[in-house]
Amino acid sequence: MNQFIQSLVDAISAGAVLGLAALAIGLVFGVIRLANFATGEIITAAAYSLILTWHLGWYVSIPISILVAVGISLLMELAVFSRMRKAGPATLLIASFGLSFLLQRVYELIFGNNVRTAPVASELAQSVEVGGIRIQMLSVTTIVLTAVLLIALQLFLTKTSLGLQLKAAAADFRTARLVGIPAGRVIGLSFALSGILAAAVAFVLTVQSGAVGPDFGVRITILALVGAVIGGIDKISGSLAGGFVVGFATSMLAAWLPEGMTNFKDAFVFVLVIAVLLFKPSGLLIKGRGVVRT
Amino acid sequence: MSNTTSAKATTQSLRWRLGPLWSLVSLLLIVVAATMVTTMFGKSLQVQAQYALVNLVIVVALQLFIGTSGVLSFGHVAFVAMGAWTVGLLTIDPTLKKNLLPDLFPFLMDAQAQWVLAVLIGGLVGGLLALIVAPVLMRLNGLQAGIATFALLGVVNVVLTYWSSIGPRSGQSMVGIPEVLDLKLTMLFALGSIIVAWLFQRTRPSRLLRAAREDGIAAAASGINIVTQRVIVFTVSGVIAGVAGGLFALTNRVVQASQLFVEMTFITLAMLVLGGTLSLSGAVIGTLVFSAIDVMLSNLQSGIDIFGLSLSIPQGTRPIILGLILVLMLMFKATGLTGGREFVWPFRTVRPLPGNPPTNE
Repeated sequence: MNQFIQSLVDAISAGAVLGLAALAIGLVFGVIRLANFATGEIITAAAYSLILTWHLGWYVSIPISILVAVGISLLMELAVFSRMRKAGPATLLIASFGLSFLLQRVYELIFGNNVRTAPVASELAQSVEVGGIRIQMLSVTTIVLTAVLLIALQLFLTKTSLGLQLKAAAADFRTARLVGIPAGRVIGLSFALSGILAAAVAFVLTVQSGAVGPDFGVRITILALVGAVIGGIDKISGSLAGGFVVGFATSMLAAWLPEGMTNFKDAFVFVLVIAVLLFKPSGLLIKGRGVVRT
Repeated sequence: MSNTTSAKATTQSLRWRLGPLWSLVSLLLIVVAATMVTTMFGKSLQVQAQYALVNLVIVVALQLFIGTSGVLSFGHVAFVAMGAWTVGLLTIDPTLKKNLLPDLFPFLMDAQAQWVLAVLIGGLVGGLLALIVAPVLMRLNGLQAGIATFALLGVVNVVLTYWSSIGPRSGQSMVGIPEVLDLKLTMLFALGSIIVAWLFQRTRPSRLLRAAREDGIAAAASGINIVTQRVIVFTVSGVIAGVAGGLFALTNRVVQASQLFVEMTFITLAMLVLGGTLSLSGAVIGTLVFSAIDVMLSNLQSGIDIFGLSLSIPQGTRPIILGLILVLMLMFKATGLTGGREFVWPFRTVRPLPGNPPTNE
């Protein structure tokens, strides 16, 4: 039982991280139909910033990592995606795939192929015992951090004018423009928020591993993208929920699959994904079929 | 009078039939010429050319599916991996195999085949996997199709990496694949794949699918079962990709699951996008141009001398430039170098292949 609760907490925390990453993808997708594969490289950039500046103190390092993430995210938009407004989602996905590959090689060139290490917030890597249950501090921190971020995002999206504009644009970009919402500002905002979320994801992952290499963000982005799509990338809540489901499932499978099968956990998740896509191609949280089935 | 009309009609229809033949012949000539040029240079260039030809077969397979259906596939490298695995298992020396891959299923341990046969079996295995997954995957469009095919690649990669009953123990590689394939033989396979793809693009399923690509609703309303047509084309394209995997195994002579994953998917997609997804000539031109740039950059990276002036670019810039090429191409000319057109006979106008405008799906 205790073991189950431990794995449950870990799974919720894994789901929370992936949910944030999927949200980072979904926010941008809602506005410009871009499923940004290069979100992983925003995460990687934030992780490098944390690792390389951690010795300056967390109050310096964390803001720097957020700034770097937001900066890179906006730079992607300005340099590449703003020039591709007429392209369809599939073309945009391939372009972001190329950008991801490109940035990974740039990181390799700058930081080398070996991982860089630093004990980022190593206090959080310990575990505490509560009523006979060993709980990782990081899992709790992750869950709290995610909750705070989600509440803040929710308040921003419903209580501020800018947030409402973004929400409207994510729901229906064309109509939003028709009623006079400035497209450029909203798009920039979605990229900036995506950068902040990516920085949060990078923080959790960096505490977990204490090391970062050029392909640091790839695996989580693949899973987050997959999660966002099965949850319903058209809706902000869909991306979040889908990411959570994938993270939760992966973590639970890792904990409970029989010995010798754990290596195959990603395969099970991918099969699950194909099954979900087959029955609900537009996503779990979207009502009806949504896409034209031909 | 009627006689001359019918004679005229016959010549015209002959021209219609033979005219497009140039779109095949020109591609074959280009590939042969490019290969012949590389044989005039050193051994290392020939090795690079052989890899380029293997990639060409993969890109032809990709184009056959993506170009005809307008549906994105990140999953073709899964079929390539199946082909490579098959050829590895069938051609490694039996004693070596016992030591290297001790956990194999008995029937795989005993299986052995001559390499040409092994490559063809590899194609069948790739096609079989495609046929099995197609009825599920082919229902999806756009982004969902991209994600689902990627999920397929993920499953295959995990299974090949960790399942030691069908390959090496986790993370290890298959070595000892015989050195039998040379540049000319690879070229023959590449030419063969182009011919097969070209012929197949003239068959009914391909035509129906091109119609569906242009307007899915109209095609469905005309009674085309799009899923069925997609399954057929996907399977054929899976066979070609499987063959390409076999060729990769024989060229690289070491096979590891990690080589057959995201990076190969990226490189081959980049080649196709560079040339243009909508035409077979796009696949050929894209692969050749991309490979030529790749070779030049890798030579520049190791430094070359021009008139006593040594030129070089820093290590690691090569993949960056290749990535840039893909991104810039998509930004400024998403239809690729060929713009989705096939080569036409330069001296007299013939009917171009149907379907040129790019789909934004």
